[in-house]
Amino acid sequence: MRTWALVVDTWREAFARYTLLGFVVASTLFLLTLTFALNLDIVDGVLAAGSLFGKAFDVSSRPVPVNELVTNSEAAFAGMAYALGLFLAVFTTGSLVPNLSKRGTVDLYLTRPTSRTHVLLARFLGAATVVAANIAYLCGGVFLVVSLKTSVWNFRFLAAGALIFFVFLSYLGLMFLIGALSGSTPLSIMIPYAIYMITMPLAAHQRIEALVDSRLAAGVVRTLYWVLPKSAELGRDMLQLVLGRGTPSLAALATTGAFGLGCLVLGLVCFARKDF
Amino acid sequence: MGMGTPPPVVETSHLVKIFRSRGRRLRALDGVSLAVRRGEVFGLLGANGAGKTTLVKLLLGLARPTEGSVRLRGADPREVAARRRVGYLPEGHRFPDYLPAREALRLFGRLAGVPEKLLASRIDELLHLVELADRGGDRLGTYSKGMTQRLGLAAALVDDPELLFLDEPTDGVDPVGRRTIRDILLACKQRGVTIFINSHLLSEVERTCDRVAILDRGRVVCEGSVEELTRPTMRYTLRFAPGQKERLDLPTLGARRLLASDGHLEVEVNDLEELNRILDAIRAQKVLVAEVQPVRHALEDVFVRVLDQENGL
Repeated sequence: MRTWALVVDTWREAFARYTLLGFVVASTLFLLTLTFALNLDIVDGVLAAGSLFGKAFDVSSRPVPVNELVTNSEAAFAGMAYALGLFLAVFTTGSLVPNLSKRGTVDLYLTRPTSRTHVLLARFLGAATVVAANIAYLCGGVFLVVSLKTSVWNFRFLAAGALIFFVFLSYLGLMFLIGALSGSTPLSIMIPYAIYMITMPLAAHQRIEALVDSRLAAGVVRTLYWVLPKSAELGRDMLQLVLGRGTPSLAALATTGAFGLGCLVLGLVCFARKDF
Repeated sequence: MGMGTPPPVVETSHLVKIFRSRGRRLRALDGVSLAVRRGEVFGLLGANGAGKTTLVKLLLGLARPTEGSVRLRGADPREVAARRRVGYLPEGHRFPDYLPAREALRLFGRLAGVPEKLLASRIDELLHLVELADRGGDRLGTYSKGMTQRLGLAAALVDDPELLFLDEPTDGVDPVGRRTIRDILLACKQRGVTIFINSHLLSEVERTCDRVAILDRGRVVCEGSVEELTRPTMRYTLRFAPGQKERLDLPTLGARRLLASDGHLEVEVNDLEELNRILDAIRAQKVLVAEVQPVRHALEDVFVRVLDQENGL
């Protein structure tokens, strides 16, 4: 019952602070744009004519099988949902630990016969469910719009939602660590965005290592690559998954999961030892 | 410990808390040793910054001592079990303003482990007790300071605590609300709840507490029962029947020190013999005495005197 109470409290807080509403509104705008911007005319399983955002597809050179078109489009949408979903999810949940840690609030939660680890883990679960519901809405919505318009049901697209959620969980662990250490909402939001930006070029770490002069710098780049989440690789793997050309790399999944788990455990330890 | 002495419910031993910030060390608590026994109402007094809130945070496991030990019913307060049936009303609390009062009590009741089947009736009972029954469905963001404070008290009482910590419980509360809070605390005391009050409202503490300690710059500088600290002086207030005082010829009374004011007279004597001699002199003037009452030191006088002594004034 304690866990349930804290999860419900997290949902109420996300609702009251309009972060949940912001996520839903942004996702809805994306879905509405997609619904009205994508026009397809399919004849005998082949695209006869179509447009996206008013720009007509070139179907004159060769007939485009609708399956190919749909999976390609879904891959593009998955790419957009990956960036948009992560951005919104970090923004939605960035304040949860700092708000809990505020003087006058933290006293009310931590003086109850509930352990600090329990309080923070239940908060993590609450944040995860809020974001899972929103990503399900965003990705499920895209899937339904595209599938209903084309009658092509590419269920691999739904796996993209699961992958976005997995990457988000890794960043959520980081946010909980920063929140527990600093109690600052701006830092809890800015640092994950910065890490996300850093991980993009790190996907080409081997080329960067070859370019730098010092062994130390090359070692730093390599270490960063292996420690930080594999946002770029998993984004690329997600596109391949939607296109049916492969599955996500286990190394990328494992290191990303380990980063999130490590951050969460460190966050729990800091929170449990902190003086309030 | 004697056979009849109950064990301390709250106990600190040589408690030291040092805060470090940017290379500076602040000794917030400096060897505090206290014991509060079951059923006692204990008041912790001190000026702002004396270390009162730090001490309460250590007692509740919100912070860890630098040195010394804290025991709550014999256990370390950082252990979950030690905080069962312990209520706390923090100073400057921030209840989730997005919740209606009823939902806030449900949240903290669930965190305290109150069984679900008891919780609904307990919430009704508490809202009624703190006189918020008609506002139970309103969001806390719409509450006044005094109402939030009363709700805070209800939240502290949600799991029927054996031990209650209150940090400035009447802060920002109007006189009627103060009376409500005082009545609730007295009812708790009668049920045997141990109450630890942090306050600088000395008159409130004097009315409610059995025993007090005065904290100054992190040290306990005075500790004792309210009865002892506010012991009677050799000053007495004499009240007279209506229209009688004007008939008194004061110089003939021969009192060592005499203070006449509206409708009453305050005299300072060396002993009861002298008091009775003055009363005889008054009666000889055919003046009707309605009441003779010893004057006690107010806790405020004690507080100011002790702090002045500590500061060498």
